[in-house]
Amino acid sequence: MEREAPTTRAAWERSCARIESALREAGAAAAEDLPKLEEVRVRFLGRKGELTELLKSLKDLSIEDRRALGPKAQGLKASFEAAVGARRAALEDASDAASLETDALDLTLPAVRAPRGRLHPLTTTLHEIARIFQLMGYSWAEGPFVEDERHNFTALNIPEDHPARDSHDTFYLQDLPLLLRTHTSTVQIRALESSRPPLRVVCPGRVFRHEQLDATHSAVFHQVEGLVVDEGVGFADLKGHLQAFLQQLLGTSTKTRFRPSYFPFTEPSTEVDVQCFFCPGSGCPSCKHTGWIEILGAGVVNPVVLKSVGYDEKKWSGFAFGIGVERVAMLLHGVRDLRDFYTNDLRFLKQFDESLL
Amino acid sequence: MKVSYNWLKEHLDLDLTVEALSVQMLKLGFEVAGHQRLGPAFTGVVVAKVVSREKHPNADKLSVCVVDDGATKWNVVCGAPNVGAGQTVAYARIGAVLPGNFKIEGRKLRGVESQGMICSRSELGLPKDADGIWILDQGPALGADVGSLLGPADDVLEVEITPNRPDCLSHRGLARELAAYLRTELKPLGGGMMESTAASLPVTVEDGKACPFYGARLIAGVTVGESPAWLKTKLEAIGLRPINSVVDVTNYVLHDIGQPLHAFDADQLAGSKIVVRRSKAGEKLLALDHKTYDLPEGLLVIADAKKPVALAGVMGGEETAVTTATKRIILEGAYFNPAEARKSSQKTRLRSDSSYRFERGADPEAPRAAADRAAALILQLAGGSAAKPTEAVAPRQARAPIRADVSAINAILGADFPAQAVKEVLASIGDLNGAGAELSFMAPSWRRDLETANDLAEETGRFLGYDNIPYRMAPIAAKAARLTLIETASRRVRARLTALGLCEAYNYDLLSEKALAACRLSADGQPQVANPLSEDWAVLRSSLLPGLLKNAQYNLGRGADAVRFFELGKTYALRGKAVDEVWRVAGILLGPVLDARWQAARSPRASFYDAKAIIEDLLEKSGAVAWVQLSERSAGRAASDPLFHPINSLRALINNVPIGTVGLLHPRVARAYDLGREDAVVFDADLDGLAGRKTTASRFQEFSALPVSRRDLALVLDKSTPYKDLEAVIRSCRIEALQDILLFDVYEGKNIAADKKSLAIRLTFGRLERTLTDAEVNVAVETIIAALGRKLGASLRG
Repeated sequence: MEREAPTTRAAWERSCARIESALREAGAAAAEDLPKLEEVRVRFLGRKGELTELLKSLKDLSIEDRRALGPKAQGLKASFEAAVGARRAALEDASDAASLETDALDLTLPAVRAPRGRLHPLTTTLHEIARIFQLMGYSWAEGPFVEDERHNFTALNIPEDHPARDSHDTFYLQDLPLLLRTHTSTVQIRALESSRPPLRVVCPGRVFRHEQLDATHSAVFHQVEGLVVDEGVGFADLKGHLQAFLQQLLGTSTKTRFRPSYFPFTEPSTEVDVQCFFCPGSGCPSCKHTGWIEILGAGVVNPVVLKSVGYDEKKWSGFAFGIGVERVAMLLHGVRDLRDFYTNDLRFLKQFDESLL
Repeated sequence: MKVSYNWLKEHLDLDLTVEALSVQMLKLGFEVAGHQRLGPAFTGVVVAKVVSREKHPNADKLSVCVVDDGATKWNVVCGAPNVGAGQTVAYARIGAVLPGNFKIEGRKLRGVESQGMICSRSELGLPKDADGIWILDQGPALGADVGSLLGPADDVLEVEITPNRPDCLSHRGLARELAAYLRTELKPLGGGMMESTAASLPVTVEDGKACPFYGARLIAGVTVGESPAWLKTKLEAIGLRPINSVVDVTNYVLHDIGQPLHAFDADQLAGSKIVVRRSKAGEKLLALDHKTYDLPEGLLVIADAKKPVALAGVMGGEETAVTTATKRIILEGAYFNPAEARKSSQKTRLRSDSSYRFERGADPEAPRAAADRAAALILQLAGGSAAKPTEAVAPRQARAPIRADVSAINAILGADFPAQAVKEVLASIGDLNGAGAELSFMAPSWRRDLETANDLAEETGRFLGYDNIPYRMAPIAAKAARLTLIETASRRVRARLTALGLCEAYNYDLLSEKALAACRLSADGQPQVANPLSEDWAVLRSSLLPGLLKNAQYNLGRGADAVRFFELGKTYALRGKAVDEVWRVAGILLGPVLDARWQAARSPRASFYDAKAIIEDLLEKSGAVAWVQLSERSAGRAASDPLFHPINSLRALINNVPIGTVGLLHPRVARAYDLGREDAVVFDADLDGLAGRKTTASRFQEFSALPVSRRDLALVLDKSTPYKDLEAVIRSCRIEALQDILLFDVYEGKNIAADKKSLAIRLTFGRLERTLTDAEVNVAVETIIAALGRKLGASLRG
């Protein structure tokens, strides 16, 4: 077989004709599998392939010969490449079709999960309450959990021997004149002491009551206290702010009810109910068949309180409110037993996600 | 407070349903928390006479009676053994409905027709007094409705009275409030009594401030017996047990007009005198509740010549109580200072309807009239003759009027109520004077709560309606809302830890000494609660971990196989006379990391190194962290240290200050929580410390788009050489192009000497500006291998 590079036109044309028939003979389009196809491709178009060599040998011919023979050689190459490409695509399709079947997964096996963290429902509820007030310009304030009588009681117009202390069963510390705060209203005093008005703060946090645990009582629970002090603030502003808050929290169609109540540190005082959102106001166990659900306590800051922290109570006035976080969380999530919040049963915690944050 | 609607209507005309009344009261601030309907819960039951009784032919325990209801005679089968001819009974006719919607029909009992039923009291829903059927007095006519014999039906409301309104702690007090609100007249109180000129007995009040008014009236020649039905019905309606006519009268007056009174058996008072004084050390009182109270020194007591006979304003003594044997009584009507009454009640843990009112503030002007009213009733019910009361009266400070104007009241409310409306409200509550918009308001003696313009604003708001105050947004030049440092840090930490797959737990701040001991922590130096609910709640926690360990144990016990918890909370420590509160964050990891049990190979259990990653993430951007083994002297100290495994735990320090700990549990702690085989890992960090550190904002660092060179080395080192030394030696070669060191295998065992280990690392080299040549990389790698050999005795694995 002539393997030397043809240096004459005639020789080149012989080689070309031979390769052309060899190409036909090899039949790239009929290769039975991908390895065979590759074998054929390498035979002709590999680095030392027959067609490659033929194309290279063009350079040994005269310019005229090259002009005459070049297109023929390029045509041969293009049609061979096209045939190989087409065959490769066909063979790949066939093999894909086969492997699609054989590689089938059981897609119904359970998903493999990275562990999913969750915020405690009291965190999300507390944050949601605070978030709404922050949108209304309330800054976050905090105070210690271990408090003195003054911040927890006397500065809030609850002197010793005041019957209002009945509802504040208190944990006292051993050998120290200190107690665990019974409400976040202590932070009212701390905020008033540490900053100058005008003032808008929200004080979320943990509080303690000396109460036996049951479905609706806990010795540890959370409140969000709010306090606004400025010139010319009145009960109407309290109504405006709290209604705006409740409608943000529970929906814009939420109906609110402000009824008179009593707290020593506010005057006038009010308790705020929202129309029951479990029944259309017609009465159900959640609202104890009244159509209304008590949600928070509030009032105009008693001037006695402002005076006790050295404010000019003639110039400044304000309002304050306190919201029970557990109560709101129970209402929002349908939790019936307060103790569930502190048991940390994963079957409980995993029912809540952080979407409220 | 229980309120009888019938009783209330004795004080004012009301034509409201109970529901409508409840709505009105709620608008005034009195919540009706409960409502009970009193009266017969049956219909169709009449008075009848048993004409005859014979044994049932087919049943031993039944009898066949003929009853006469005045119109007809009926055949009734009865099962009660006490039924007999001649008795007057309650007969349920056919068609009667008994409690529980039990309809009486005619039916055959063991073959004998029964046309109705002879009832027992309990079948009628009445308190049981004897077994068997209810045998009535002979009085009422046959056929009379039994229901109507029981007196008129009543509604009893449970009304919640806030502590500022002791004036409403009686039927008349509440009626007075309603009359003012509903603009109706309060009915006049009946009364008036005859008294002789005889003197009662000497009264000495030693502290006129504690007891500004004390009146004692002798009523002699009484015959104490059972109270009449009208009085018993009233007391029973509001849940009180009738005792005897005199005691019942004092209770009645208390609930009628709000003044607590007390009656002594005058013949049991030693020395026939009354002294209102302070208790002395060692004195005791056997009170009406049959318990003996040790009186601490200094409580206000009523004493006779020898000893205390009552704790003033709280409860009388058993030995001087009025009984049916009493012939002469001393009726006390007094006013005690609220703080005194509260102190006495709290110190003795003794509460009564009387102390409840005195400590909230009774009406100081009321005792005389109330005692007169009670005396008149006692004369009426128990006979006898009343002497003139002895009164000890201390001068009292006159109250000043409240000065305010309508605009101030409107400003407090943010409302625009017309002056006329405001004045009408206030005039219905007290004495209103003043010209034009200037108001001068004199509160009545029973309204001790009214002192300031804000109080008047509340009255105005209540009466004119909170609903009529507009909604307004406070006209504030608001500052931008800000978070505190600790809250900012808390949010960052919560976001990070939930992203790492941890669930947030909430535990109580109070622990038992036992729980602390199980965690090898001491209660010394911890603040303790003086009045814990139980020993489980005795100590303020020094660490969050005892709570989290309990949570892990709890969940494992309930089928969980993996636990990943964190908690943010305060820990406490005594510092002299103060208590330090520190925010901390702690967590526990245990069990498979991935929820992929069917791909077991992909589901390793959480290890020390998982927890290490968490704490590294928490400390990221807080500054340079130094890590030391917990057992090292330089590690510093933290409250939770004893809980950790001393060897397999690391302390992180920033600027030499401990910031967090991560490690395995001390084996003893693990055992105490049944976690011995669970290889739990825990971490604990100082959240206040983290919050106080300035974190650096992320800054972009350019990276090369050019290809990098990687070289893998398998090194054999002494087993005891820590990995960090390997890294340190490599870094010490200061090869600028070295971008990364990645440990990808740790191997001990076959083909490696027993005291050696093999570490496989991948080194990544690259430069920003150009591609490295093979030669450059080779030189760098040779340098590193040489240094490792020289400093650590490391060799390439053959």
